This record gives sequence, structure tokens and C-alpha cells, in this order.
Amino acid sequence: MSPDVLSELSMTEAADAFARGEVTAKGLVEATLHRLAKHEPKVNSVIRLDREEALLAAHAADKARGSGKAMGKLAGVPMLHKDMYYRADRVSTCGSKIRRDFVPKVTATVLQRLDAAGAIDCGTLNMAEFAQNPTGHNAHFGDCMNPWNAAYCTGGSSSGSGAAVAARFVTAALGSDTGGSIRLPAAMCGVTGLKPTQTRVPRTGVMALSFSADNVGPLCRTAKDAARFLGVIAGPCPSDPTSAREAVPDYEAALTGDIRSLRIAVVEPWFFDDIEEPVGKAFEAAVVTLQRLGARVEIVNPASLKAVAAYSALVSRVEGATIHAQWMRERAGDYATHLSARLYGGYAMPATFYLEALSRRGPLLRQFCEEALTGYDIVATPSLRSRVPTRAETDVDASPENWDRLMSLSANTRPFNYLGLPTISIPAGCDDRGLPIGLQLAARPFGEARLLRVADAFQRETDWHKRNPLP
Amino acid sequence: MAEPKLVLPTMDAIRSWHGVSVPNPAARHALADFEGLIAALEELRGDLVFEDEPAGFEAALQACKDQEA
Repeated sequence: MSPDVLSELSMTEAADAFARGEVTAKGLVEATLHRLAKHEPKVNSVIRLDREEALLAAHAADKARGSGKAMGKLAGVPMLHKDMYYRADRVSTCGSKIRRDFVPKVTATVLQRLDAAGAIDCGTLNMAEFAQNPTGHNAHFGDCMNPWNAAYCTGGSSSGSGAAVAARFVTAALGSDTGGSIRLPAAMCGVTGLKPTQTRVPRTGVMALSFSADNVGPLCRTAKDAARFLGVIAGPCPSDPTSAREAVPDYEAALTGDIRSLRIAVVEPWFFDDIEEPVGKAFEAAVVTLQRLGARVEIVNPASLKAVAAYSALVSRVEGATIHAQWMRERAGDYATHLSARLYGGYAMPATFYLEALSRRGPLLRQFCEEALTGYDIVATPSLRSRVPTRAETDVDASPENWDRLMSLSANTRPFNYLGLPTISIPAGCDDRGLPIGLQLAARPFGEARLLRVADAFQRETDWHKRNPLP
Repeated sequence: MAEPKLVLPTMDAIRSWHGVSVPNPAARHALADFEGLIAALEELRGDLVFEDEPAGFEAALQACKDQEA
């Protein structure tokens, strides 16, 4: 198979083809290198490419398979990950100037689990500086550019992860999500992005942004990919006491394609405030598709949403400001303008409101579930209210006047971080400028299997996730 | 648009409490956002109710868990 044909395989297709002996790991890594050589200058998604190490790992995987050794679920599959997952003795820049030479002493639990499953780590990906913008701007490594059109945002903060998966450099990549940082690049680049339940995936060896709202998850082509990926990285870790002890189900087994009589709640009005017409139309079409598959759809208006929206604006901003306080005193000029501006405001938010936001988080989760997920299995919203914005119109470093547009991008994603609910963004349309539109689905805590079943059923019926921006 | 009155005293408070100076005009501009946030929090006054234990977030995650999980 040619590199371009190989690069069209999804993560699970590549892993299964490797397991059956139909493709080699070397071929898959070479396809990644081929696609990068051809398209990376148009995308700027990579911070560090470990070419030789990846080829050596591929050789070892091919040899192991040839000798009949049992292989992991992701054996032979090349991946690149957001540059905030620590690998001992390798630089992890976190997309920043401040940590340009930072060498961690630990390897992230999730990287250890991916290694054990046989995935081939090819290097690290561009990202928003310290994972703190929703657009993909980066003043230190250059903006990551949307593979569909370089003038437009990739979404952030997992900008490189969204772009690299969309561009067919890799089939899957780790992202992180504190206010939408997996789902926004997934929506804007036209890929699948899963933010698991808060506590579902351990965070040891992952750069902190917000203790309360950080999540680890995959960006990939399909819901099936996300199911297998999550099955590998989820589960308790002794070194992360915040990780849940819940058993990890077989997520792939839940993908039956059957969502007949499933009940879906469309939450209004918050998620539709000032919605742009192409996004609204794509959402309506997605709902019709879900209904055609047998789901029942109703509109709900949870009273809890007003408080959820207000508090979700507080928590990660205060925690982020706290984490960065010393650097903000001593090296504020080493941050991009938009980031130091964002961090700065966090110091003015009163501790009493921060604690109020945290103390009401549990009760509001209970209230939201009662209002929107009792009698309903899934909540559906647009991932963004607007079409994908341009890099220029969201560039705060160029003009402070762009601040409001920048901050509004995560309006539909951030509430689910506060609530801690598992949430996924899947491609569900295309706007009048040829850029992707995302559908966001959320479920009750630890309801990833149900969530993935709906996303998978939708993808069996549509082909938005199969579209390649750089054929 | 005129700068909201709260911006200067907020900058003073940040400098006094945290030793952090305003890093750039965008940071000052962004403080204007606080008017909206304060208004949103004002609207929530009166909503706070006494919560019996376990009121914590992790307890709520368990209590609200998907029954299929």
C-alpha cells in the first residue's frame, strides 16, 4: 500500500491491519514521515519529530510480530502527542518559551500505557502555550494552522493534535481538555475528540493547568478509535490519587450501532445564544440523522446552567494564575501577550467566589443531571456557536480588541469541564467557507460507553469524519 | 468605550496582594470582563443552600453515574 493509502486508515484499522500481518509498522511510520514531508510546512503541527527512534521502534514491532510474540491493542501504530506529556529525560516544552528546555524526570502514566499497548511515539506536537488558548496561536513555535485553510484557527489548546490527525500525519494523538481543549480542535479540524469523565484518566506526568478541571483524552478519526484509545489509557493509577477506581469497560464492545429509543436532550438556550446560521443548520441536520437512527429528541432548559456557566469561568482561571504566579512576577515578558493577559485577571478573582464555585460543583452536577439527564441518555449541543474563526480575528497579541472573540470560543465546551461529564465532539458538517462544524454530545459520569455508541452510530450514517483536507 | 471604574483598583489590588504588575495593555483590557462576571455572580445570590454531606464533587460523580457503567 502507498503511504497516502496507508495514511487513510483510522487508528483501529491500522492496528488491526498490523495485527493481521497486512501492513508493517515500518510502512505505517514511513507513511507518517511521508505525509509530514509533504504537508507539515502548511500546518506547523510538530514541535519535535523523533524520526530515527520511531523507525527503530517500528523495526522492533515488526520483528516481534514476526516471532509470534503477543502484541498490544495499538501495536505498530505511529502517534504524536501534545508536548505536555512528560517523558523522562526528554524535553517537554509545554508550548512555551519558559519551558523550552524543561526536562522532566518522570514519564506520564498515559504514555507508559500507550507504550505498553505497542503504540509508536514519533515525537511531540504544537499546542497553545501552557495549554491556555482556544485557538492554536503560539508566539514561540509559530501558530498551528488549520489543514482545511491556513488562515483559520485549528482550535486549541491541543492545536497540533487536531491538525496532525486531520492532516493524516497520525491516526491519533493525546490532547488535554480543561475548557474545551480537546473538543475545540476536534470541531475546528474535523476530527473526533473525547474528553472523558473528570478522574477517568490519570494525570501523573501531565503538565498542570487547573487541578480541578484538567482532563486527558484522545483526538482521532473515529469514535471507534476513541473507544480503543480510552480503553488503553483509562483506569486508576497509584501515583494519581485523583484517578477514579471505576472499572474500565470494554468501550469497543459497546459500539453496536443501535441507538433505537435512545433519548437525547437538546439543551437550550445557553448553547444556542448568538449561534451562526451555518452552525445552527448543521446541528439541526445532525439531530435529524440521530432521529432517523431511532433516537428520540426533546428540548430541555436546565435552570442550573446559569450558575454552571458563571462558575466555569472562574475555576481554571484562578488555578492557572496560582500555578503561574512566580513566573508572572519574574518572567511575565516571556509569555505571549494573550496568555499573560489571561493569567493576570485570575489574581483578582476573590477566594470566596473560587471556593463557592468549587463547593457548588457537586450540587450543580446533581441538579444538571436531574434536569437534563434524567429521562434522557445524552445531551446534544453544537461544539461551537460560531463558524471556525480566522487566526487574525482572534489574535489578541495583535489587538486587545479581539479578547471577547477569543474568550467566547469555549462558551459551549467549558460548562462540561465544570460538571466533569464525559463529552465528545464529532464532525457533523461543513460551513459556507469549507471548514468543519462539530456536534458535541455529553453523558452522565462514566457514561463514555453510551456516549461512544451514539457517536459511532452517527459516524456509521455520515461521512464528515472521513473527509481529508489534504488529499 | 470608556474603561470600567473597577479596572484601576483591581490592578492596585493585584499588585498589593500578589506582587504582579499589569504585563501589557491586553491584560488591562481583559479586566473589563469582570463587570460581566460580577453581574453573573450577583444573579446567583440567594441560590446558595445548605448542603448535607456528602456534598463533594467526587461523591456527586458517583451518585450521578451512568447506570450502564
